[in-house]
Amino acid sequence: MKNSKKLLTGPYLFWAIAFIIIPIIMIFFYGLTDADNNFTLMNLAEITTPENLKALGLSLLLSFISTVICLILAYPLAVILSNKNVNQSSFIVLIFILPMWMNFLLRTLAWQTLLEKNGVINAVLSFLHLPELNIINTPYAIVLGMVYNFLPFMVLPIYNVLIKIDKDVINAARDLGANAAQVFTKVILPLSVPGIISGITMVFVPALTTFVISDILGGSKILLIGNVIEQEFTQSYNWHVGSGLSLVLMIFIIFSMALVSKYDKDGEGTAF
Amino acid sequence: MIKSMIQKMYLGLILLLLYAPIVTLIVLSFNSSKTRSKWGGFSLKWYASLFENADIMNALYTTLIIALLSALISTLIGTAAAIGMQALNNKFRTTMMAITNIPMLNADIVTGISLMLLFIACRAFYPSFSFGFATVLLAHITFNIPYVILSVIPKLKQTNKYTYEAALDLGASPIYAFFKVVFPDIFPGVCSGFLLAFTMSLDDFVITHFTTGAGVHTLSTKIYSEVRKGIKPEMYALSTLLFVTVLFLLIVVNTAPEQNTSNKKLVRKAPSKFSRIANIAFRRVVPALLVLVIVGGGFFYGAQNRASAGEQVVVYNWGEYIDPKVLDMFEEETGINVVYEEFETNESMYPKVQAGAVSYDLVCPSDYMIQRMLENNLLAEINFDNIPNLKYIGQQYLEQSKAFDPENKYSVPYCWGTVGILYNKTMVDEPIDSWSVLWDEKYEDQILMQNSVRDAFGIALKYLGYSLNSTDLDELQAAKELLMEQKPLVQAYVVDQVRDKMISNEAALGVIYSGEAIYTQSENPDLEYVIPKEGSNVWIDSWVIPKNAKNKENAEAFINFLCRPEIAKMNFDYITYSTPNTAARDLIEDDAIRDSTIAFPNDSELSRCETYQYLGTKFDEIYTELWREIKSK
Repeated sequence: MKNSKKLLTGPYLFWAIAFIIIPIIMIFFYGLTDADNNFTLMNLAEITTPENLKALGLSLLLSFISTVICLILAYPLAVILSNKNVNQSSFIVLIFILPMWMNFLLRTLAWQTLLEKNGVINAVLSFLHLPELNIINTPYAIVLGMVYNFLPFMVLPIYNVLIKIDKDVINAARDLGANAAQVFTKVILPLSVPGIISGITMVFVPALTTFVISDILGGSKILLIGNVIEQEFTQSYNWHVGSGLSLVLMIFIIFSMALVSKYDKDGEGTAF
Repeated sequence: MIKSMIQKMYLGLILLLLYAPIVTLIVLSFNSSKTRSKWGGFSLKWYASLFENADIMNALYTTLIIALLSALISTLIGTAAAIGMQALNNKFRTTMMAITNIPMLNADIVTGISLMLLFIACRAFYPSFSFGFATVLLAHITFNIPYVILSVIPKLKQTNKYTYEAALDLGASPIYAFFKVVFPDIFPGVCSGFLLAFTMSLDDFVITHFTTGAGVHTLSTKIYSEVRKGIKPEMYALSTLLFVTVLFLLIVVNTAPEQNTSNKKLVRKAPSKFSRIANIAFRRVVPALLVLVIVGGGFFYGAQNRASAGEQVVVYNWGEYIDPKVLDMFEEETGINVVYEEFETNESMYPKVQAGAVSYDLVCPSDYMIQRMLENNLLAEINFDNIPNLKYIGQQYLEQSKAFDPENKYSVPYCWGTVGILYNKTMVDEPIDSWSVLWDEKYEDQILMQNSVRDAFGIALKYLGYSLNSTDLDELQAAKELLMEQKPLVQAYVVDQVRDKMISNEAALGVIYSGEAIYTQSENPDLEYVIPKEGSNVWIDSWVIPKNAKNKENAEAFINFLCRPEIAKMNFDYITYSTPNTAARDLIEDDAIRDSTIAFPNDSELSRCETYQYLGTKFDEIYTELWREIKSK
């Protein structure tokens, strides 16, 4: 019986090899060869040019800030949501997935309309005689765009671990004399670590590699590493350098995978 | 009490953040003005024109069908894999989970590019394999499977394996036992996996961007190609409809008692009459609707494909660079189906044509890019016997074309124009006649620069008194310094958004192509266009036929059609870019436009302007490198 069950992984195994493993190998191949198919490390070394290093640095900084903001916003939110009546829970969760049905590009473009100098937010502010908000085409707008787009990916995994916490454990802690702060720091927080870690990687990685948000909200004045790679492929047409830079990015991705598998052994902290 | 108030307020604030852009989009869908930056009053006209817009409806069907198919297939494969993985030993299971995590954690851009590289490699073995529906579907299934697996596994872990074994002991066959015992338990996981896969597929842009081909657009790629020019308001209308539909379904689903997930609850309440109806609605009507959409959409799509299976011509043109009616008229007259694709810049067009993943029949690059394509042997000679209407094209434009096509054998001029400064008379109080104003600190944060290497450098070089085809490293360095100096003053680097932004008074000065000036002036009379005294760029966009074109004669028929004076005039009225078709110019009724110095500048102005030339790979790289230094400053 067990053997026939194993066979069920067959189609997926085939699919994974054809469309996950082989493509990754292709990136390695392009990243480690030059135009004449000779082995080279030059493509990886491209990351050390001042412009690319700066783009990478800025990407790391902005995605770090966005991740921190997401975490700060999402944790209390997940706590509030997890205390809601169970009956409504799936509805509440869906509220966070619902915006995804409005196209991602349109949602980000809408922020342009909101943030512009003569945009909606400034119209409201000037109506209230408040100072204008001029953040469009600056890194602040990009951070806002990242937080906006990736917040659900932080809320959902944390929410999912929080609702699994056994209420009896919390009651036991209370019975044993822990106050609210102690219950939180000694019981709830440690138990929600898998969700936090999973949330961090799910926000950090897409934020690190985005090229659309920086394009739309940064006025093309700000170059992130995602923009550099996209341009290598679609404009300079230099696949070797593009792949080389993608390989460098993969280091960060592997790092986050390691982090997840260390803290989230049972896959509890999945987003969905 | 206070605590719950704070909690509610916090929840409200976050929801405001999440839904503010969505409300904005919904409001915009009722805006009767075409540009998003002006409120022209309430109107439902975009909802009406939405259903007549075949492009958008087609993109919608493609999006829905890809989302449904990819979600279905990945749910099947993923659920099977999740069940199978339970039976594997620990080591294999960990490896499989690690592989599953790759598409989840890998950057979209890396996943997209890796799949693109794979599909291109496939072409080496099957030359007829081309990018399109199938490649997008494969890509979507690939990134969807992990979502399904990760939704099903937690449910599988919760199931009690003894009940399954008990069922076997009592004589059930493994398959019967599975469907009667295990499947009902994991069903919510399978459902949420399916829903998630569907949503992810619907929302994906990056991976589709890298794996799609000519004529196949999902809503995302369609929107992206419109971003530069300004989104068509029908798109807002469509998104609003989609959103409201989903919201409605959600409310229906959630008012129904959740039988699926209620196994945790101790007491099962008797369902009320209303909830029973809602339940039936969810269980019967919704799936039936979904099936209807698949089947209906499938027929529609099949019909579309059959149409395109006949005679066709694959056109690759700048965004919004043709009157859509012209395409319909051509199709009607000749029976040749036009597959129409758009690009944003010469630089982004070139690799696509060179890669040949899609074989275009007709492309409309600018002068210097045509020269580059010629030098790289990408173009086919045009058979001018098939284009008798060439006689309507002014001789001076063919003369000018010799700069990049020395014998006039490869190109037919389509549009031409200059690059200049568009300024808002109410925001700028001095007369503008020089590029120097773009370096005036008075206008900090009021300047829109072109986001294209050659145009940006062309301006700086001209301002310095050099040729805009300079290959002198010192001159280029000086131009770079100048552009770096300018960067703090620049509000944004844009391509076509300059139009919307100038109309809505977002900026005082913008670098713009002359063809856009006429349109922007008609929307905002305060705007004025000038070709600076230091001189500028004069450009020609011409039709060329790539070497690997499959329908060369259809392409020539299309060029001939466009050269017909009435058609060229119709086109001019729509796109407002200067036409080289002198017969068409004579047809223009409005004197002010026919003799407009913006659309048709006089010779003394033109004598100060230069045409771009292709400077070779080496200088291409130098320009790109210098531009990147400016951008990353």
